[in-house]
Amino acid sequence: MNMKQSHIELPSYLDQSDAVRERFERLKKRPVILNVRGLGKQFDSSQGPVTALRGIDFDVHRREFVCVIGPSGCGKSTLIRIVAGLETHTEGEVLLDGKAVNGPGPDRGMVFQGYTLFPWLTVKKNVMFGLEVSGRGGLPEEEALQWIDLVGLSKFVDAYPHQLSGGMKQRVAIARALANQPRILLMDEPFGALDAQTRARMQTYLMEIWKNIDVTILFITHDLDEAVFLADRVLVLKANPGEVQEVIEVPVPHPRIPDQLLSPEFLATRARLEELIHPPQEEQNRLSEDHLNMVRMVPVDDEVADVF
Amino acid sequence: MSTQPWLAVRKELAPRRRLVLGVLSFVIPLVIWSLVSYVPFIWHPDVKITDPGAVSYFQKGMLIDHDIFERESKKVQAKGEAVPHGIPANPIYLPAPHQVAKAMYTAFTTPPQRRGEKWLHQSLGDSISVIALGFFISSLIGVPLGILAGTYDALSRLNEPFIEFFRYLPAPAFGALAVAVLGINEAPKIAIIFIGTFFQQVLVVSNTTRKLDPALLEAAVTLGAKRMSLLFRVVIPGVVVDLYKDMRILLGWAWTYLIVAEMIGASSGITWFITQQARYKNFPNVYAAIIMIGIIGLSTDLFLAWLGRRIFPWQRGAAA
Repeated sequence: MNMKQSHIELPSYLDQSDAVRERFERLKKRPVILNVRGLGKQFDSSQGPVTALRGIDFDVHRREFVCVIGPSGCGKSTLIRIVAGLETHTEGEVLLDGKAVNGPGPDRGMVFQGYTLFPWLTVKKNVMFGLEVSGRGGLPEEEALQWIDLVGLSKFVDAYPHQLSGGMKQRVAIARALANQPRILLMDEPFGALDAQTRARMQTYLMEIWKNIDVTILFITHDLDEAVFLADRVLVLKANPGEVQEVIEVPVPHPRIPDQLLSPEFLATRARLEELIHPPQEEQNRLSEDHLNMVRMVPVDDEVADVF
Repeated sequence: MSTQPWLAVRKELAPRRRLVLGVLSFVIPLVIWSLVSYVPFIWHPDVKITDPGAVSYFQKGMLIDHDIFERESKKVQAKGEAVPHGIPANPIYLPAPHQVAKAMYTAFTTPPQRRGEKWLHQSLGDSISVIALGFFISSLIGVPLGILAGTYDALSRLNEPFIEFFRYLPAPAFGALAVAVLGINEAPKIAIIFIGTFFQQVLVVSNTTRKLDPALLEAAVTLGAKRMSLLFRVVIPGVVVDLYKDMRILLGWAWTYLIVAEMIGASSGITWFITQQARYKNFPNVYAAIIMIGIIGLSTDLFLAWLGRRIFPWQRGAAA
């Protein structure tokens, strides 16, 4: 993949069309929803203290879509879990609308990679869960039905989670998180367990939802295409310790459609991410490490002596 | 289409075959029992006297060991007196299937041998009420305590070490104590069932509660669930199906304590009935009563399994 791309002359991922540049200027004038300042996390292991995250700084503006990407073990999941309040941090602070985050709360909705629907509740009751426990007024049932309709599962309101496919479960999980009308929606590799086709469909759905609803999204992924396709900006982390390597403004114009996956801006951004996450010299090392000790084990005179 | 072999590692058989084998699992022991009972040359170590002949102590209908019968026959033959006759028979403690089958009915219709003794249905009723009460009282305290211990580490630490110790104390050991404290009637028996069930129950329930997927709790807190809603809307509904299964297993254990419980104080219930019938050498009734316990146990469990599928519609498939 890398080799092929290097043959084509790609523009720099830093080049932005006028429309894209103007959009980013407008975006940065929007109010800041999430503000992460000097965030760090250390924990003690049997081999002494380990720094999982260090000096993480970034802002997320209202209705912005930010993806976090990085090699495995870079602490991207830890980062989103700290923002959600599911884990504690040891340094810095997380501000939501300027107020420090302390523990989990319904103002930060979360969609997990594993399907975390409550198996004993129907789709409708799952979506109503947040509305009921937070004791907000209004009509939870009516609201829930609206959200279910939004993710296109009106036919399944009374189904139980085990009757749904993986993609449908994640759509319910998204509806359930959105029903609380959180200030920010945190998504931790939500499509990681889905097959490629369903995943692509879910990405398109998510783009549609994001366009039509007042929601700010922080999205963790390890899939480079997914990050470029979805994000306004991509926060690239590096491992050991987890630090911000670069914040990339994705130059692919909106609205995003699957055809853009082959556009020059897309490929340029993707190539840059590839470079950051799998540095070339490391690639070399890995190849030599992974080199398989192959011996021909098919007789030369075999009926099918060759696969070519 | 190729058919699957009967013995395939960890592969489920077709429903028809499963049913056939399930029926066979009952039929095979019954066939063995019938063979031993009805085929004269299989086992039959005794002789049932049909004509005592000249042997002074033989009586018609008496069961006598085969060797003794032969010896006595030779003795009288040598003296030229009348030879006894008999047919091969099994010992009195192995009645034939048809005798037990008949006893399943007649045991209910036969009045008690002595006044003050109870009819079989009364004995069974007593046993069931002891089990039900013991198990109910145990569950009333044990299930909530187990759920709390499985949810809050503080409660787990406060309870479980002691319970872990106590569950090794055999429930029957408390028999004399229970009688001293609670008298000789139902109460000490219920107490034994309680002691036998409760401590296991708390540990089993707390363990099951701890198996709840923590991701569900995380999802719930990000949706705004707090202490009480977390306990009542997530923990309890999240484990209730598994707890129900635990209860079915624990109820089976409670039955094993019944035998002990009924031996203490004033003997009563099905155990007493069995002991009494064995004393009268009425073995068909003994077998009938033992089989009845099995039938009651199995049918209760099947009923609860069926009920479980109705109350918990979100259960995947028909996993029992």
